Formats: sequence, structure tokens, C-alpha cells
Amino acid sequence: MSDNSVNILDIKNIEVMYDNVILALHDVSLKVPKGKVVALLGANGAGKSTTLKAVSTMLASERGKVTKGSIDYDGNSIEKQNPSQMVGLGMVQVLEGRRCFGHLTVEENIISGAYSRKLSKGDIDQELEKIYGYFLRLKERRKSQAAFTSGGEQQMIAVARAMMAKPKMLLLDEPTMGLAPQLVAEIFNIVKELNQKEGVSILLAEQNTNIALKNSDYGYIIETGKVMLEGTAESLLNNDKVKELYLGISKKGRKNFRDVLKEESLNKKIN
Amino acid sequence: MANELLFFMEVLVGGLLAGTMYSLVALGFVLIFKASATFNFSQGAMVFFSVLAFCGFMQDFNIPFVLAFILAALLMVVVGLCTERLVLRPLMNASEDTVLMATIGLGYVLEGLAQAAWGVEVRRLDLGIGDFPVPWIADNLKLFISALDITAGLVAAIMIIGLFLLFKYTKIGLGLRAVADDAGAASSIGIPLKHIMLLVWSAAGVVALVAGMMWGARAGVQFALVDLALKALPVLIIGGFSSIPGAIIGGLIIGAVEKILEVYIGPFFGGAIEGWAPYVLAIFFLLYRPEGLFGEKIIRRV
Repeated sequence: MSDNSVNILDIKNIEVMYDNVILALHDVSLKVPKGKVVALLGANGAGKSTTLKAVSTMLASERGKVTKGSIDYDGNSIEKQNPSQMVGLGMVQVLEGRRCFGHLTVEENIISGAYSRKLSKGDIDQELEKIYGYFLRLKERRKSQAAFTSGGEQQMIAVARAMMAKPKMLLLDEPTMGLAPQLVAEIFNIVKELNQKEGVSILLAEQNTNIALKNSDYGYIIETGKVMLEGTAESLLNNDKVKELYLGISKKGRKNFRDVLKEESLNKKIN
Repeated sequence: MANELLFFMEVLVGGLLAGTMYSLVALGFVLIFKASATFNFSQGAMVFFSVLAFCGFMQDFNIPFVLAFILAALLMVVVGLCTERLVLRPLMNASEDTVLMATIGLGYVLEGLAQAAWGVEVRRLDLGIGDFPVPWIADNLKLFISALDITAGLVAAIMIIGLFLLFKYTKIGLGLRAVADDAGAASSIGIPLKHIMLLVWSAAGVVALVAGMMWGARAGVQFALVDLALKALPVLIIGGFSSIPGAIIGGLIIGAVEKILEVYIGPFFGGAIEGWAPYVLAIFFLLYRPEGLFGEKIIRRV
């Protein structure tokens, strides 16, 4: 029970099914300590997005369901919640692919993030200024239609929009997908800043293992719906297997963890 | 010569004002299309249902005009509420086509309910505004323009300004535009879809009521109002399905063009071309400008 005060998010052995037949997650457990950045790493289809959607309760709108296990947020089960209630509780997901409101201006996009809060016009302006402080680029483009901004700017809009909801916890789904390296660095700098200055806890799904771990405190690696490895960011960065499989530092071809484990058990038997 | 010009003006103005009646019907479609990306086939039935209820309140229960209007508007909010709860929410994960089919079903239910509750005979609706030329305009400008047409024009103008302000400057308007762009993203930041749907269907219901009152005053409150929905289709194709100004301009264009064609080209086809001329125009738009004049272009980054 004392766990709850330390961990803002506690996922225990969840299994997720889509359409009652497609098993997307077998057994995922993870914890996000308050005020920390946790990276969820893995290849396409490993189950990163599904895990995040299970947490934000957005699975229901995609015919998905948590069939086993439990998810506790801030000490309470999220079982009976819907997405807008989760936002009200301070948990906001930034969806994969940015998903800006293309026909709205940049500023309207950001303001829409405050929809769930009851703010006066003055409060909103104040919050906007604070948010623009983190996203200087967006202030210059505030009157442009969001669809006409660059990919990096759209990602910033999506994060800024989520921040307007005043989250205690952010779920970021592949924020650097398809972005140029300097933009990737810029986005991560902002994320880090938000984490430190605003005290937002962050669960980050990424394929870019290297930069994600460099900006996180802890990491989980999942493959085909299962957690394969976890550890502090530093230990994962220095882990030989991670290096070989995810960081591309290897003499052999790329494999996955299952193969590594099989190999190991074979070796054990032989020895 | 002057007489001919005057006649042309009369045809044009009469057509434009008649067009605002189409615009009113089209407005309801646009509202729902914006939020659910669905063509609401029950809009015609909503027009019929709402105005028949209004007539029923006024004529069967002797409720005064204003109160009857408020009651009918409230009834349309209840219809919106039931639609959200019983039709839209269960189909939340269904495809747009499924929702489209559901609106056809909803249309039949509303038609049936309306006739079961208020009877099937044609009712006369007197708004106190005659469908005859305004003497002042006839005397001073030598144009014969119906008072009802002018009223419809004014009402349409008020509704479009009201809706524009609602969408552009209110919080719920922002929510609606966000949902129209990306419902999933909107729900991820805590915009409750069910509130937005309720708002949109209620607004479409009230718009249907107003449109029904205008048409009812002209043609009698009868089942044929349901088919008005069909006349809104070319209006929407020309104006764009997702644009409120588009619905208004589209209505004006259809109204003007069909009257002018009827008067000047009609005789070559043996008359009565205003029934199908708008659809021909719509086909040209589908070929050369499928998003309509004001429809939101699908913006794609390259």
C-alpha cells in the first residue's frame, strides 16, 4: 500500500484483447514513480501504444479491453473511468501521429486542451503565456492553421495542448516519429523541462531507444506484448543485449529478445 | 427594355429569397455533418416532426405562438438527447456508413411518431406573414417580392450569424470544431463527445423547426416536407457539406439559378425544369469542384 504514494502509475500483469480475439498484450507490468520519466521501448507492434491506451482508457473506442490484471493511477483503479474523466484526474495522452486539429489555428489547438478545466478568459491567457514559454516556436505561429505547420511544430502543438489540461501525468506516444534529429533533441529538451519544472510524471513510448533512455530515469523493453527487460535507464544503455538489439551496436544481425533467451537456455543446457 | 430588366431583377431577387429557404434546411445537415461526418438522412423527418409538433401545440392545445415555439424547440432537444443515447452512443465504434444507415432508420421513426401523435392531415400554418408581395416594395421599386421570402431571408441571416458566433467564440464551439477535425484526439484531451453530439443534434433540431415553419407557412405542414431534404442535397454539394456559409450561399445559388433557368430556358424544355436543374448543376460541381465552394479542403502535408 505504501507503493501508492511513490508510484503515480502501477500496472500489474495486464492482458489486452482487441475485438475479443486479438491478444495484444500478454503480461505487462510497469510502474511510473511520481515525477519521473519512464521509457517504454520496443519495435512496431510490440504493444507500446496499446499499453498507453489501456492506461488512458482509450482502448474502449478501439474495441479493446483489459481482460486481466489491474491498473492503478494515483492510488485508485482506473477500471470504471472514461477518457474525459481520466483527463479530469490529470492523466493526458498525447496520441501517436500528433493528431492536431488541422483546421484550427495553433492557438485554438492549444486552448482546446483546457476544455476540461473551468477557466476564465484571463486564466486561459495566463496559462497560454506559460505554455508558450516552453514552446517559443509556437508563439510565432499562433495564428497559422495547424495543418500547415511542420511535423515538429505539430508535435509541439500536441504536447502543448496536453499541457493545457494541467496534467499530473503525460503519456507520450512516439513523440519523435518522423522528425529530423535536431527536432527530436528539441522535443526531448522540452519534455525534460516540463518534467522538471512542472513536476509532470511521464510515460514515454518510443522506438528511438537511444535518445529515449538518455532522457529517462527508468526503462521497460517490451516485445510481442510482454515485458522482456527492465531497469534504470543507465543500466539499460550499458546492457550488452540492449546495445546489440536496440542500439545497433553489434557484429551480428538484429534479433529479438526471444531469440536471445532461447540461445541462453540452449547454452545453459549445453553447459 | 426597362421592363425586361425589372422582370429579371424580380426573378433574381425572388429566387435568392426562395433560396434562403433551402439554406435553412441545408444548415441542419451541415451541423451534423461537421460533428459526425455523416449525412443525416433524418433531417427531413426532423423538419416534419418539429413543425408538426409546433402546429399541434398551437392548434390542438391552443398554446400561444411563442410558448409553442419554445416547447417544440425543447422537444427537439429531447429528440437530440434520445438520438445521442439510443442511436449514436451504441454505434460509437461503428463506421460512418453504419451511422448513415441508422439516420435513415431514425427518419422513419420520427415520421411515424409525428403522424401517430398529431395525425396525417395537412395542416395550415399561419405565421401572420402573408406569402404575397409587399405593397411598399411593389410601389417604390416596382418589384413583386413576397413578405414570407423576406422573412425567411432575415431568419436565415440571423441563424447564420448566431451559429457563426457560437462556433467561433464559445468554448463549446471550439469543442465542436475540434471534434469535427479529429474526434479521437478531442477525446484524448478531455472533450466529452456525448455533450458535443447532444449540442449538435439539438441545434440541428431547432434549425429544422425554423426551416419547417417557413416551409410550412408556404406549402402547408404536410408529409411532403420530408422530401425537402432532397432539395438540400444540391445545395450542400455546391456549398460544401461542412461549411455554414456554404449552406447559405449554396441555397442562394440554387434558388436564383433554378428560377432564372425556369423562366428563360424552361420554355425550351416544356417548362418545369426547376425540379431537376439544381441536380444538373450539382453534377457539374461534383465533376469539377467536389468539395463545393466553401467545403473544407482536405489539407494534406506534402
